[in-house]
Amino acid sequence: MSGCDHAVEYVYQYLDDEISFYRKSRIRMHLRYCSNCTDAYEFEYKLKGVIRDRGRSDPPPELFDTLRALIEEERQRDEPGT
Amino acid sequence: MADQANFERDAMQYAPQLYSAALRMTRSPADAEDVVQETFLKAYRAYDSYTEGTNLKAWLYRILTNTYINKYRKAQRRPSEVELGELQDLYLYKRLGESSGASQSAEADMLDEFVDTDVIEALESLPETFRFPVLLADVDGFSYKEIAEMLDIPIGTVMSRLHRGRKALQKKLWDVAQEHGITGKES
Repeated sequence: MSGCDHAVEYVYQYLDDEISFYRKSRIRMHLRYCSNCTDAYEFEYKLKGVIRDRGRSDPPPELFDTLRALIEEERQRDEPGT
Repeated sequence: MADQANFERDAMQYAPQLYSAALRMTRSPADAEDVVQETFLKAYRAYDSYTEGTNLKAWLYRILTNTYINKYRKAQRRPSEVELGELQDLYLYKRLGESSGASQSAEADMLDEFVDTDVIEALESLPETFRFPVLLADVDGFSYKEIAEMLDIPIGTVMSRLHRGRKALQKKLWDVAQEHGITGKES
């Protein structure tokens, strides 16, 4: 497997930090002289951040109150009379 | 062993993340609130069995995914293996590169054009089998091992679903980019 193929195949495992030390070193070495793969890695790294930061939704503001009330009700059921 | 009296103090900070994950899973605000309420109730009742010092967020997510699966997947016990088709590696990077011409790092700059609703639409378009691993890894930052435990599948399956799911997500983002005219060709 060429250095580029190896780097592309393991890009997610590398960015997820779920890769063996050996493969990680091999990829780091490759990225040092391959600007194409470095570009691609920087792109995938940034994309991962975009998905993390823009993939969330805010809860409705009353969610906390609803959950607290739910737990309070459950607590009182456990300790009748308190 | 955790003290039930501390549940609210410990767990409430994760409510927004859990709600967001539930919304991506159910794709319905009403169902998402339902799943989160049930999750908190179950978690409160079981808080004695949570070992203090271990990852509370992962523990709550495990209850969340189980709650979702029990509630919405009763009819089909086993998720169907959906075919996504073979997609090229680095799908979005290559498409954006082709559309933008030669300039270096233009692909990465184009990512700034994607807004929240684009990313959410792309995530929610994934079939459930792939959506869950992608959500749990990319939005919530869990490890392969934690995802494997939450979804009760082997780590190798997590990895292959993530691999294919991410490529499908990139294809959807590319479709969205084209629809919204952010492929770098004009303006």
